[in-house]
Amino acid sequence: MVWQYSDKTVQLFMDAVHGKPSSHLGEIENPDGLGEHGSISCGDALRFTFRVERHPTDPTKDVITSARYLTFGCTSAIAASEALCILIEQGGYTPIQALGIKNTDIVEFLEGLPEQKIHCSVMGAEALEAAVFNWAQKRGVDLKLLGIDIMEHEQADGRVVCKCFSLTEPYLKRKIKELNLRTIPEITNAVKAGGACMACQHVPGGLQDLLNEIWGTENKMIHLPVLTGIGQSATLPHGAAVGDPSASPYLFSKSIETTIDQEIRPQLQRDGGDLEIIDIKDTVVYCRFSGACANCAGANQTLKMFVERTLKEQVDERIRVISVQ
Amino acid sequence: MKIVYADNNATTQTAPEVYEVMVPFLKENYFNPSSMYDSARITADAIAGSRGIIAGHLGAKDPKQILFTSGATESNNTAIQGVARANPNRRHMITTAVEHPAVLEICKDLQRNHYDVTFLSVDQDGNLDLREYVRAIRPDTLLVTIMHANNETGVIFPIEELARIAKETDPDIIFHTDATQSVGKIPIDLEGTYRHVDLLSFSGHKFHAPKGIGALFMRPGTPCRPLLIGGHQEAGRRAGTENVPFIVGLAKAMDLAMENMSDEQVRIRKLRDSLEMALEEKISYMQINGKRASRLPNTSNLSCHYIEGEAMLYQLSAHGICASSGSACTSGSLEPTHVLRAMNVPFTAIHGSIRFSFSRYNSEQDVDHIIDVFPQIVLNLRALSPYWDSKNNSPHSDPDRMVSAKS
Repeated sequence: MVWQYSDKTVQLFMDAVHGKPSSHLGEIENPDGLGEHGSISCGDALRFTFRVERHPTDPTKDVITSARYLTFGCTSAIAASEALCILIEQGGYTPIQALGIKNTDIVEFLEGLPEQKIHCSVMGAEALEAAVFNWAQKRGVDLKLLGIDIMEHEQADGRVVCKCFSLTEPYLKRKIKELNLRTIPEITNAVKAGGACMACQHVPGGLQDLLNEIWGTENKMIHLPVLTGIGQSATLPHGAAVGDPSASPYLFSKSIETTIDQEIRPQLQRDGGDLEIIDIKDTVVYCRFSGACANCAGANQTLKMFVERTLKEQVDERIRVISVQ
Repeated sequence: MKIVYADNNATTQTAPEVYEVMVPFLKENYFNPSSMYDSARITADAIAGSRGIIAGHLGAKDPKQILFTSGATESNNTAIQGVARANPNRRHMITTAVEHPAVLEICKDLQRNHYDVTFLSVDQDGNLDLREYVRAIRPDTLLVTIMHANNETGVIFPIEELARIAKETDPDIIFHTDATQSVGKIPIDLEGTYRHVDLLSFSGHKFHAPKGIGALFMRPGTPCRPLLIGGHQEAGRRAGTENVPFIVGLAKAMDLAMENMSDEQVRIRKLRDSLEMALEEKISYMQINGKRASRLPNTSNLSCHYIEGEAMLYQLSAHGICASSGSACTSGSLEPTHVLRAMNVPFTAIHGSIRFSFSRYNSEQDVDHIIDVFPQIVLNLRALSPYWDSKNNSPHSDPDRMVSAKS
């Protein structure tokens, strides 16, 4: 699928991968703020650092002078990281002012992103938040006193709803409200939840339930009736088919194994070969030749004339042998 | 800029010879092959001739065993859904976890409709475990549908063996294979070693026929209800006026593929192998997926650790190189390829996969161009990656360096 990226997105990406001096690729050593978001298993991750010019007396008046990123991700993830750094440096923001940068600002700066790439911009905003909290800790700024609710912003602990991307209920509820997400596809596009195994979409306490809880149930999905059981009931238990073997499949298999061990394998081993039982289903015995037999041109002949005949004579005349090579 | 087309498992360019033979049927020979006047004989004969050519190349005894379809997706749907609907008494199917969506999704849909489906796993090399296969066969097994060669990795499954084991166990088990990636690339003899295969699907556009034409081999007596009804064409097994120009093109493409089979096996294999050897030398932390398995000669699936595939494709494209990736970002579903996941490719590499696939139109220069630009692309992206230490040109020694904000 060809993603339709804006010229701006492509330009920022190309500048970054070619290491143009204008790009913000890299990491600031001993940064004043460091934040991370994502992980390698979910396909993108961002490590974001910034440096401030410290205000001599009031740390809340620190101004961010430079920002850098390292990003594992696709074209738009890299471009969004670049956009984040540019927005911050151009704004001459204090870290607290920088918190005002939302993912929509990043999307706007990039002149739009394909719908399924919106999560790339969210990642940037999340990493920025993390970095600002890191700065606040280092500088002894109490964000709570400034009216910023840390718990609101942190990836709050709680019940994990989307297991694939380890997203919790408090986090998802916050995102659903903040980004005005109304449907499951919108949630998936924004924060990935429900995008991999999809199991959390309609389970009790899943994404649909969260949406219903927040927005009410007026846009409730129509649940199809769940039919169960029929597929399973058609399944026959292993070995329960015709004849004696079903009476005692265990003893039947045992006598096959004994005959192979005592009568057949010693003869094959004399010629440097061997035989392995792969499976026994009813009267069908699946065998694999090994050793010299495996490459022997007459192996099939041996199987029918010797192995199968011996088993027919000694155990049950209905036995068939199938080779599995 | 010269285009290096290395995405031949996605589609191929139409051979000029194929185009040439199609033209008269797009112009003056437009007659409906079902019509009664003399002129219609031209188109009817063209179809019969094409059917014969294709049957011959696949070693099918009777040309009537070949049904023309719009492509492998239709062939797969016809085969799997048709077999299910013709045999309502059996409700179990066996397939693999690495099938093309055109098989996998049909099986999942049948699952929703109360079929029991066993999805066989593969090992790290992409191979099936025959023991698991044997154990999956049940008294109520209706259909086994297993691909011949994997579209992403090129790994070849021993369908001759798998079909024989199924048929020897129970002749009523129907064996279908999606041979879209193998027809025209490796020899298939449906009366020889492949004689236990009942149904075989393929598309023309993977071997230089145009898109929109394919076929389904159906062994006589296979219980399979038609998917498209409403006409007597294809002996009632696939209704609809025949796509004459494309059928003629498909036969020509098949002729050419057979002529070039040794080129595929020797020259293209050499191109692929030289690409892999050069890249392995130049790129650290790169793995070749399916390398130890028996593979199609034209396919190379690589994973570069710690970077993402879509970003690689974008830069390859800037150098005129066309390839594919199994990364989540290229799938449109935020999910990385099910094939590499089934192979347990490490999570550091699964998003960084690239597939190069060649055809007879590729040259040594094409491969050299890839070798020239690809390692730098990998370096560029690693310089951006938080998991990569560019100073030491290796991954960061501390694996927990990036602590996920979500864990």
